[in-house]
Amino acid sequence: MKYKRFVWLAALIFILSVFNVYSQEILVVDNTIFNRPQRPAAVFDHDDHNEKAQLEEDCSICHHVYDENNVRIEDESSEDSLCSECHSLKKIPENSIPLRMAFHNRCKQCHFKSDKGPVLCGECHIRK
Amino acid sequence: MQDTIIENEKKKPDGKNVIDDGVEQGLAKLTPERISSVINQVLTKEVGPRFKAYVETCMRCGLCADACSIFLSNDRGPEFSPAAKVKQTILEMIKKKGNVSKKVLKDAVRISYTECNVCKRCSMYCPFGIDIAYMMLQVRRICHKLEITPLYIQDTVNSHSATMNQMWVKEDEWIDTLQWQEEDAREEFEDLRIPLDKDGADIMYSVIAPEPKFQAGLIYQTAVIMHAAGIDWTMPSFPGWDNSNMAMYTGDFEISGRIAQAHYEAAARLHVKKIVMGECGHAFRSVYDVGNRWVGWSMPPVNLIHAIDFYHDLLTSGRIKVKEKYKKTVTLHDPCNVSRGRGLHNKAREMVNILCESFIEMTPNREHNYCCGAGGGVINCGPPWKGTRMVNNREKKEQLERTGAEVLIAPCHNCHSGLEDIVEHYGIGMEVKFFGDIIYEVMEKTVYKKNNLKEG
Amino acid sequence: MHSFINFIMGPMVWISFLIFFCGVIFKLFQVIKQVNEKENFIYTYLSVKHSFRSIFAWMIPFLPVSTRKSPVFYTVSYLFHLLLFIVPIFLLSHVALFEESMQWSWMTFNDTVADTLTLIVIFSLIFFMIRRVVVPEVKFLTRLSDFFFILIVALPFVTGFLAYHQFFAYKWMVITHVISGELMLILIPFTRFSHMFMAPLTRAYTGSEFGNVRHAKDW
Repeated sequence: MKYKRFVWLAALIFILSVFNVYSQEILVVDNTIFNRPQRPAAVFDHDDHNEKAQLEEDCSICHHVYDENNVRIEDESSEDSLCSECHSLKKIPENSIPLRMAFHNRCKQCHFKSDKGPVLCGECHIRK
Repeated sequence: MQDTIIENEKKKPDGKNVIDDGVEQGLAKLTPERISSVINQVLTKEVGPRFKAYVETCMRCGLCADACSIFLSNDRGPEFSPAAKVKQTILEMIKKKGNVSKKVLKDAVRISYTECNVCKRCSMYCPFGIDIAYMMLQVRRICHKLEITPLYIQDTVNSHSATMNQMWVKEDEWIDTLQWQEEDAREEFEDLRIPLDKDGADIMYSVIAPEPKFQAGLIYQTAVIMHAAGIDWTMPSFPGWDNSNMAMYTGDFEISGRIAQAHYEAAARLHVKKIVMGECGHAFRSVYDVGNRWVGWSMPPVNLIHAIDFYHDLLTSGRIKVKEKYKKTVTLHDPCNVSRGRGLHNKAREMVNILCESFIEMTPNREHNYCCGAGGGVINCGPPWKGTRMVNNREKKEQLERTGAEVLIAPCHNCHSGLEDIVEHYGIGMEVKFFGDIIYEVMEKTVYKKNNLKEG
Repeated sequence: MHSFINFIMGPMVWISFLIFFCGVIFKLFQVIKQVNEKENFIYTYLSVKHSFRSIFAWMIPFLPVSTRKSPVFYTVSYLFHLLLFIVPIFLLSHVALFEESMQWSWMTFNDTVADTLTLIVIFSLIFFMIRRVVVPEVKFLTRLSDFFFILIVALPFVTGFLAYHQFFAYKWMVITHVISGELMLILIPFTRFSHMFMAPLTRAYTGSEFGNVRHAKDW
């Protein structure tokens, strides 16, 4: 009986330590543009993500370009610019999607569609 | 034998041990089928969304407890809080779908008739304004329909039913009493009259039946005040003169309605402009708030005012002048049914200040005053319940004592009797008086002439 | 798993709100129907002026005598009821989620502030629970269901708090948080939570009877 209890305890310690794995060195999205961000910056390892997501050369899914009429230009991509160059903090006439929403939608919509990756607040905004 | 009696007297009276013949005999006749059918009839047919809302909305927070003087008098006994009374009666009946034991019914009688004064103070302490007095009256309604009403109060209802007055006063006795008072009063005022059945008089004055039965002197005093103020008034010689209504408190709403109707019909028959009623609280509730509704008059069909309103008018308009202010220190008890029931507390205070030299305020007061402990038909349940009533009135006694006044003005018959019991039982040196008593004592005994006012 | 999360954080939210609003409307409609059928005298005495007089008087802390008699309880209670609405409505994560689906947002609390307020709500509920056990007159009135109701309200706040701090089992905390929140919303019209919309009605009637007929205050 005592042996069994020990196994449970070990399992518990193991599980708890798994939760703590993320607290090692992690790459995050640069959130300095937000004034006084409320949550820790979102965890995001660009290369690792693309490898797992098998995006290969299709950068324009995230690094998209839209024309004046709000139509996405198929063959163009915008790897050299920051998201915040088009998506401002508040909604503006030229771009109806503010930055925070752009980030959230970009990640979550794909993740939900592919049934993979984090979708809950704390799965990206991990507390150290 | 003698020892056990003494021992019993020493013990704190407990309502659970009280034997009330009316209740016992009623319970003995009941069958489970009758119990459930009566309860379900009331709970499904008689009450409506209001009752349902009260049952379903109560969060059992217990805030009503502090409102109840009976709860406070019983050392904050949890079973005495207003919501607890609902729990032990109505909720029990709902839970069991009417199939309750005779013990539950016996408790329901005790709780609803003798441990609740239906004073509505708790609905001022409930954040939702739930009217627990209304719930208790529904319990009484069920008890009435099961014929397990306490004996003494049932007798008053029987009297109402047979004679249209509360005290089995016969018509000739009534007229006789008025004439006797008139005769006595004529020694003070030569041409004083107590006009009977005067058609088209300004005012019909109505009293409760205990006045002609035991306290005829009050009618004398009123006659003197009316005469001195030069009022064109009358009293009916026929049924309808009694404005009291115990049926309202037993749950016999049918008779309650008949009583209120007879009262207003008397006024209509005499073509009076206004009804003035004596210093009684429950009677005011009956004709102003309850009985009239049962008949179908949303508000009194004839202009009706309580004695406080009337006397206030006489004193402020100069129809009655104060010769010399009342000397003793006085305090004022606000009867529930005219303060919480009609907001007359400020007028009552103005009157005290006109009439008396030194006034000591009672706390709590006005709408928040404690019930006298006799109201809601509790005192009318009679001697079997007097012991527990005195226990339940401890908080009231303490409130009275705190004032340290010599005289206690209580402009309500029920309060008057209940407060006298408290004063006697607890040995508080206080005289209980009506406004009429004080006015009679301090007024100038001259007859008011209209031109006096015009010249002034 | 993702489709389940998507469901409870998407359609189920709207379904819950729909049930809540329809439930409230249905219940109110039922009350009005029954009043019309059985107790239409209520309209005779109901006065708009005195109804609002009474409701407003009771919304001002420490105006009613009752509130002065139990200052601790009422302080906790007023605060709790206020925060119960304010915290979820002005919570950053809720507003962010709402914005992502409806392209509409409003002001939010700073997360630290919201966190503190959440703790106040949780401690209020603990206070209510202790009161139910400790105060004799409240204990006498308490039924098992009263604890159940406290639990239902506590769940979304406690799990929300734990999820925010990511202490453990984050994913399950969020899922419980969302589901319990929706459950509470759905239960409001059909349980004693209905005092949310019934209490103003009972208060209005008592306020009208006191003010309109009896010329007295009821606070």
